[in-house]
Amino acid sequence: MEIIDTQLDLGILDVKDLRFYIADGGFLGLKHKDEDYRHIVLRRIMPMEYPMEYISVADHENKEIGILRDVAALPAEQCAMVEHELDNRYYSPQIIEVLSVRDKLGYVYMEMKLKNKQGRIYDKSCAIKDVNRNIRTLPNNSAVIFDVDGNRFIVPLISDLSKQSQKKLDAYLY
Amino acid sequence: MSTHTTIKNAVPAYMRGAFAANGVGVDDLILAIHTDMTPEGDFADAYVGVDRNNLYILYGEERVVKTQGARRIVSEYETRELVTYPLKHLGVLSTQTLLSTCRLISDPEGKEEPEEEEKGKQASGKEKLVLLFSLGCQGFVDRLLKVIRNINKGEDPLKEIKEQEELFCLECGTRFPEPDRKLCPKCTDKMSIFVRLMGFFKFYKKKVATVSVTMLLVTALSILAPYVSTRLLIDEVLTPPIRHYESAATGGIVRDYDRVAGGDYIYVETLGGGWYEMVGLIVLAIMAMRFVTTAFNMLYQYVLGRTMPWMIYDLQMRIFEAMQRLSVSFYTSKRTGALMNRVSRDARNIYWFFVDGLPFIVINIAMFAGIFGMMFWMHWQLALICITIVPFAAGMFRLLRRIFRRIWHKQWTINSHMNNMVSDAVNGQRVIKAFAREGEESRRFTDMGNKHAAVDIAGANLAWTAFPMIYLFMFIGQVVVTALGGMMVIRGEISLGVLMAFLMYLGMLYGPLEFLSTVSNWWARCVDSAQRVFEVVDAKAEIEEPAQPVILESIRGEIVLDDVWFQYDPATPVLKGMNLTVPAGKTLGIVGKTGAGKSTMANLIARLYDTTEGTVKVDGVNVRDMSLSQLRASIGIVSQDIYLFMGSIVENIRYARPEATMEEVVWAAKMASAHDFIVALPDAYETRVGAGGQELSGGEKQRLSIARTIIQNPKILILDEATAAMDTETEGKIQTALNQLQSGRTTIAIAHRFSTLKDAENLAVIKDGVVVETGTHETLMRKKGEYHKLYSIQMEGLKVISME
Repeated sequence: MEIIDTQLDLGILDVKDLRFYIADGGFLGLKHKDEDYRHIVLRRIMPMEYPMEYISVADHENKEIGILRDVAALPAEQCAMVEHELDNRYYSPQIIEVLSVRDKLGYVYMEMKLKNKQGRIYDKSCAIKDVNRNIRTLPNNSAVIFDVDGNRFIVPLISDLSKQSQKKLDAYLY
Repeated sequence: MSTHTTIKNAVPAYMRGAFAANGVGVDDLILAIHTDMTPEGDFADAYVGVDRNNLYILYGEERVVKTQGARRIVSEYETRELVTYPLKHLGVLSTQTLLSTCRLISDPEGKEEPEEEEKGKQASGKEKLVLLFSLGCQGFVDRLLKVIRNINKGEDPLKEIKEQEELFCLECGTRFPEPDRKLCPKCTDKMSIFVRLMGFFKFYKKKVATVSVTMLLVTALSILAPYVSTRLLIDEVLTPPIRHYESAATGGIVRDYDRVAGGDYIYVETLGGGWYEMVGLIVLAIMAMRFVTTAFNMLYQYVLGRTMPWMIYDLQMRIFEAMQRLSVSFYTSKRTGALMNRVSRDARNIYWFFVDGLPFIVINIAMFAGIFGMMFWMHWQLALICITIVPFAAGMFRLLRRIFRRIWHKQWTINSHMNNMVSDAVNGQRVIKAFAREGEESRRFTDMGNKHAAVDIAGANLAWTAFPMIYLFMFIGQVVVTALGGMMVIRGEISLGVLMAFLMYLGMLYGPLEFLSTVSNWWARCVDSAQRVFEVVDAKAEIEEPAQPVILESIRGEIVLDDVWFQYDPATPVLKGMNLTVPAGKTLGIVGKTGAGKSTMANLIARLYDTTEGTVKVDGVNVRDMSLSQLRASIGIVSQDIYLFMGSIVENIRYARPEATMEEVVWAAKMASAHDFIVALPDAYETRVGAGGQELSGGEKQRLSIARTIIQNPKILILDEATAAMDTETEGKIQTALNQLQSGRTTIAIAHRFSTLKDAENLAVIKDGVVVETGTHETLMRKKGEYHKLYSIQMEGLKVISME
């Protein structure tokens, strides 16, 4: 069923019209047609399912310029800039091992081994409040954990964790 | 000589060496904080320090040499880079929250306090990225920014800088989950939770003492019974006395008295047969013991049955009262299903543990100890053999307990989600039907049900396989004791009665061991539930009555918001330095886009939440210092979220003032244009509404809530989209009522529809958490600013609708 009304511009950006660049001050800028935005804001429309597709591009006042359908369609250098910007915005280290989970007085204390985008592996401990809300099982067998500070950690595929890690996490997944 | 505020840990000791090693004058540093990322988004230990002239950022890697829990005691720092920013070049610093990270941005040409017309567009276009950090560091960076602002203003750098909250437990170094709640989860063990739970018994001391004494008597009699029915029956009643003789020649003991009459044997002792042939007496003793045991059993269960429901009632009341005491923010962070679980299921788990678990734990532990006591008393060597079984069995049970605990927790998690799904399905039934999604909803529930069943099956499978293995192990132990004991009887080392008593006692161990294995699950479940219950009971209300509240003689209703900042979630401010004044008795209309912070502002005035920074004052008094009951009684809120309680219409209207007369109720209903529809209902003012009651339309519910506020007669009235759910005709009627209601009261009217606010004495436009414009409708229209923009958009929209 075709429901998209052609009268309403969905705002999908044509990659040919885009040129991302690093502006003075370190912000990601964009030249789009005749406009030059020296500080843009990128947001994922589907952060979990399509992290590098359907990216909402807005100016620094959050007014949407358009939607970037696929980051990979950009030239390599610009693609790297956009990926870097998105990684910084959605900073979510990956849990590669759950070292311990302790449930005390309604808080879950978790010690884990994390890997960030740069591949650096480090240990981190965090406290999680209200586990029903802050340990979320996602439909694609992944999980997101939010700690008391608002940090988020992801398990891209629960089944990729070691059996021991899965066992420790299992009581909180649904 | 100027004096400066000093705060503890302004420059933590572990950072001093790193700064000094890089040539930064540590003694000049005013504040230093620890952040965690490089501008490229890589993980790093970034130490950020500030003195009167410069901001220093030290990127590197920290290697903690010695810790106490999460607390650094000694650490080494490997510097990668030192970046120095002169403060005079940084200009205005601000933070920009991304999603799980924040940026510190400098605007060399930005203004610290922009002019009215520049609000909402402070950026100069020359901003520069200074620092990237994860959300957890936001609080530290905010402190740093405050210090820099103070330096730039030439004020004491540490003015109004709060002491660093003690974030770690002093005992073990574990981080407190909530700085406000100095409760270390690690140092609070399970036993202390249980001991605390036992504290609920303190009001029932006599009953508990009765139960304890009778339970111990029952146990003692139960231990004595096998001794009487085996050892005494066989050795003393059924067996004739046996005389032991010692051979003078060999020294050997002979017990067959017929064979040793005369000769060189010396009589030593007579064993057994003390009550030979007195069968009636022993049967009587056995029966008497059984009767007494049964009587005591009945007594303690009777007393317990009369005590426990009251204790659980106390517990449920404590949870319920705690829930009433807690702030609104607590409810926004908990799902309804999980909260209802706490009141009902968790309290019930505790109840069953105390009724069916704890008494039997006491009995079985006492029985365990009593049985082994008897065994050692009768024959310590055989008792030692028996006792070797216990550590193995205990080990198995311990393992089982841990596994079961995990299963119980998983069940609880899934159960909470199922509850939420049921609640969703019930409340959203109209939407489900409207979109014909019944099948999909059933499928979702089936999926969760399958998961629930899988966990139940896992638990059952474990129980069905693990327990028979333990029984088998116990049976082997019994066989070994039978064999060894049998040989001892043949060798004359023990009597047949003693062996029979041993075998009976060994059989009696099954019961306690089996029970203790079951109760370990109960124990785990009870402590798990208690832990969740205490989470609610202990949760500190974020909004508390001040120790010495200011009680005003009467409230005039002047409202002042002074540089108010507020955030629901960490690092996501909704209000960003809001300033607003509403003179007493005047009406202020608030306009702005959805999410601009309008309702948040109303919540802060009523002190449903506390500001993150800045103050809200009513009649010149900070609302934090005011008596909460006086403040809340003085503020009436009519919002778009209408809630009617289970009960009659009259009860709902009288909710704020139960003593209101019937005349006042009818008057309020008429004022709110509610009277006509109420009397049209079959039971009129006695119509039951709320959950399970009469269905009312959104407009009707809203009119009842307005009547409820009219009865309250508040000095300050907050109308938060009060007429949003109504059609134009009803809105017109109510607007007249609201206009009457507003007279003589300070009113803050928040509305989307500009038509409802046009006549307000003053209007404020809110954008991105700040007030960007104020004035009357006419002046704001002439200004052609944000108000004009919003007004024009709405008018254009209305034109299109009318054309259609």
